[in-house]
Amino acid sequence: MTTAEGSGMKKYVAVYLLLLVITALQFVIGYQNIEGSRLMVRFLTFAVIETILVVLFFMNLGSEKRVFVKFFVYFMLFVLATMNYIWTDSFRLLLFRLTGYTPS
Amino acid sequence: MSEAHLTMGAHSAPPMEAPPFAMLSKKLAMWLFIMSDVMTFAACVAAYSFLRNATPGWPRPFHSVTTVAVMTLIMLTSSLTMLMALGAAKMADKAKAFRWMMMTAAGGVLFTLLHIRDWIGMMNQGVGLFQNPWGPAAFGAAFYSITGFSLLHISVGTIALIIVAIRYQGGRYNADDIELFNLFWQFIDLVWIFIVPLVYLMNLAR
Repeated sequence: MTTAEGSGMKKYVAVYLLLLVITALQFVIGYQNIEGSRLMVRFLTFAVIETILVVLFFMNLGSEKRVFVKFFVYFMLFVLATMNYIWTDSFRLLLFRLTGYTPS
Repeated sequence: MSEAHLTMGAHSAPPMEAPPFAMLSKKLAMWLFIMSDVMTFAACVAAYSFLRNATPGWPRPFHSVTTVAVMTLIMLTSSLTMLMALGAAKMADKAKAFRWMMMTAAGGVLFTLLHIRDWIGMMNQGVGLFQNPWGPAAFGAAFYSITGFSLLHISVGTIALIIVAIRYQGGRYNADDIELFNLFWQFIDLVWIFIVPLVYLMNLAR
């Protein structure tokens, strides 16, 4: 094994161990009695950190050309952000279902 | 147009724009496929989250997630073994790369079997697409849709990995192809990273 390959593998193993720790933390948090939305925020925060690690190191996006990284990140963020439009309707269904209002 | 221009046009290659991303076409195609697949999974997760939020009394049926923890460990470890395969392929060590790819495929098979076992357990509890013992019927549809789509990716991906490994050993594929497959395998691992907290841990019985 060459020095370059060895250091590359060490980096991968370090990221793998970090992913294991973050995932274990998610399981620990899952068993705690935390209210729904706060729990969701914590889970998503950990999942986003794991995503950044995997995309940057395991998928080697960091070593691609900067213009591609920008294209990928901006495009994904835009799509994922626009999908959140549905949330307002889910709150409407949850909170206003007992008002008895029916459209004429 | 002068004769000189016509002659030059006949013999010289047409002017080409420099590739903006400076990567292999097949690698760009894989990235675009992954981006489109992200949208599909994100739509599934968003729809599930919408249903969960809009449905009072959403069930929390999972008392233990030990199997899910083992499945997660297998997926994360298979990501590492896939990277080991890629590292060996880049060093032109065919035997080593093939061994690591087979270990990754073994992880995929094990994950698939555990996932099917998990599904059978749910079905034995009476969870179907349109009914379950705990109330909101949408739970089963959401659960099977999201985990099923992930399972489909992993099981088909495992078969594809075995094919890639065999073709690599036979000399038809090279390290670039292993790198492409590595992108896909890391992506399905990433999807599982989101499914575990949102589908399983959020629905732990408390």
